[in-house]
Amino acid sequence: MSRLPETEVKQFQRAFSDLEAEMSKAVVGCREIIRDMLICFFAGGNLLIESSPGLGKTLLVKTLSRVIDLKFSRVQFTPDLMPADILGTNIVAEGSDGKRYFEFQKGPIFTQLLLADEINRATPKTQSALLEAMQERRVTIAGKTYDLEQPYFVVATQNPQDTDGTYSMPEAQLDRFFFKLHLEKPDIGGMREISQQSSSAGDVELRRIINGVQAEAFKKLVLAVEAPRSLRQFAIRLVLLTQPGSAMSLPSAKKYLRYGSSPRGVQALILGAKVLALIDGRDTAEPKDAMGVARQVLGHRLMLNFEGEAENVTPTIILNEAFKSKELSTVA
Amino acid sequence: MASKIAADVPLDAVAAEIKAFDTDFQRVMNEVGKMIVGMRDVVEKVVIAMITGGNVLLEGVPGLGKTQLVKVLSQALQIDFRRVQFTPDLMPADILGTNMVTEDSTGKRTLQFQRGPVFTHLLLADEINRATPRTQSALLEAMEEHSVTVGGITYKLEEPFFVLATQNPVEQAGTYPLPAAQLDKFMFKLIVGYPTFEELDEVIERTTSSVPPEIERVTSRDEILRMRQLVRSVPVAGHVESYAARLALATDPASQYATEMVRKFIRHGSSPRGVLALILGGKIRALLDGRYSLGCGDIQNIAPAALRHRLAINFDGESDGITSDDVIADLLKQVPEFEEDRTKM
Repeated sequence: MSRLPETEVKQFQRAFSDLEAEMSKAVVGCREIIRDMLICFFAGGNLLIESSPGLGKTLLVKTLSRVIDLKFSRVQFTPDLMPADILGTNIVAEGSDGKRYFEFQKGPIFTQLLLADEINRATPKTQSALLEAMQERRVTIAGKTYDLEQPYFVVATQNPQDTDGTYSMPEAQLDRFFFKLHLEKPDIGGMREISQQSSSAGDVELRRIINGVQAEAFKKLVLAVEAPRSLRQFAIRLVLLTQPGSAMSLPSAKKYLRYGSSPRGVQALILGAKVLALIDGRDTAEPKDAMGVARQVLGHRLMLNFEGEAENVTPTIILNEAFKSKELSTVA
Repeated sequence: MASKIAADVPLDAVAAEIKAFDTDFQRVMNEVGKMIVGMRDVVEKVVIAMITGGNVLLEGVPGLGKTQLVKVLSQALQIDFRRVQFTPDLMPADILGTNMVTEDSTGKRTLQFQRGPVFTHLLLADEINRATPRTQSALLEAMEEHSVTVGGITYKLEEPFFVLATQNPVEQAGTYPLPAAQLDKFMFKLIVGYPTFEELDEVIERTTSSVPPEIERVTSRDEILRMRQLVRSVPVAGHVESYAARLALATDPASQYATEMVRKFIRHGSSPRGVLALILGGKIRALLDGRYSLGCGDIQNIAPAALRHRLAINFDGESDGITSDDVIADLLKQVPEFEEDRTKM
């Protein structure tokens, strides 16, 4: 594989750090989330954020749409939201000759950056309408197919599971998200900073760093980063170690997990690692890069069984054990 | 013997047709292989079912590329493709379509039928066991009859029409397992296994460094229908027919052909549809092998796919961890290809 042009790698590096810095001006105390969100975007994935209400998810996504020039829309998911409310619907319109005909009214999904707020409050049919469009990058209504404009990025948010009146997403749907991130409540310092910023006059002026075309070019650059054998081995072994059904499985994975990751997890580890390598100015991704995105990629793909839930095991505990195993330490 | 029957038909013409069949089949397999890593046996059985017009139930955990497989197939075969994600709140009208009130140029209101996603050639019914029984059965009627009735009017579905349904194997809260009578409507049930280390490496190679390759269109709707005709014309020797029938009968614990394992662990066995699946599927296996006659080996190759969903394991079997694949493997060993005593027939 040919080495990447150094200027392009430099450009990416600069754009990434500018994006991070610019977004941090508007969103206080979320450096890690901002970084992970950008990694997910450049890797071509979609993002699920879990957090309690009021922690600034909307602000986070809106800010992204300002620093990368993207069309933005937000849909609040509710139990009575229907698929047509997201996708759009055929309405009866009247032409100048008085004749009535059907006209397709595009729904909020026809954007580039979609915030699907509290996705688990909608019924399964509505959730799957969004997820299908997200996966296929197109929408089919009444037999007609409409393509979504690229780059396209969905950020879905979810209340923590124990909230009443929610429909939790089944495994197959969760697997469609590249990363799942947890937005924690800010500490006292963060709280004060937020209150200072939001109570003082006016919005923060934000600079647009890149546009959609440049973003697409960067996404292509990510694909071209080399994934050497050591990285591929690391990613595959990590997924097989945490797969209760595999021959390589860790004893704790067998004991506490109901499910491991699908092959999508392997793909996400590799793509995420490639973005990390570029951020670091390298044209070859390494096992440590995959380790850097492992929690975000596999956290929602490792499903605990009853025993695991009862003993308060978390995916992170299992991942840490996998990192220490001889299968991974020999390639890392 | 089987070869005698084959000798009665003009050999040259048949040989050419078989060759064309095999070439078309392999071209489809190759196109699919561009996108899909591994699972050759699953792909082959899916294409076999599609040619005969049978429906397939795919079982496997999420993210193994089931949707991808169906999509690539529809591209290679140049047929329409639609996907429906089954959910607990999916309604029959979401699949079949619904009547809408519209107004024509004279201002008169009429009911116009808005076709649902079932009006396609290849329908992927994802996670079929998540929908309620009424919605499941709406689809199953279309599968069986190849027509849809809404508001008293029957609409024919265009041929070829196949359904590929997927099902998540892990027991899940809030799913509605398909009852035996509905499972029986699927020609094959195929198990999509987790990829191996090498296959995962190949997945990385193909999916994380470049845009996916273009899929060539290798056959068409008409060609599939022609292939279907050829399959129907493959002759079946008496002893092979008898073997398939005895194999299916042997899955029934009450039958005289039942093996010990079947009597012990099976609640009920295959219906006559199982025999049909064995014979039709076996005929294509024979063609792919360059033979214009069906052999017992072809039946054996098809048996797990054609029978596994038609065997219901009883309580003893469940508690002993017996699967229908175990029982079928045993049957293939126990049931003789030639019947010892003809008077039993």
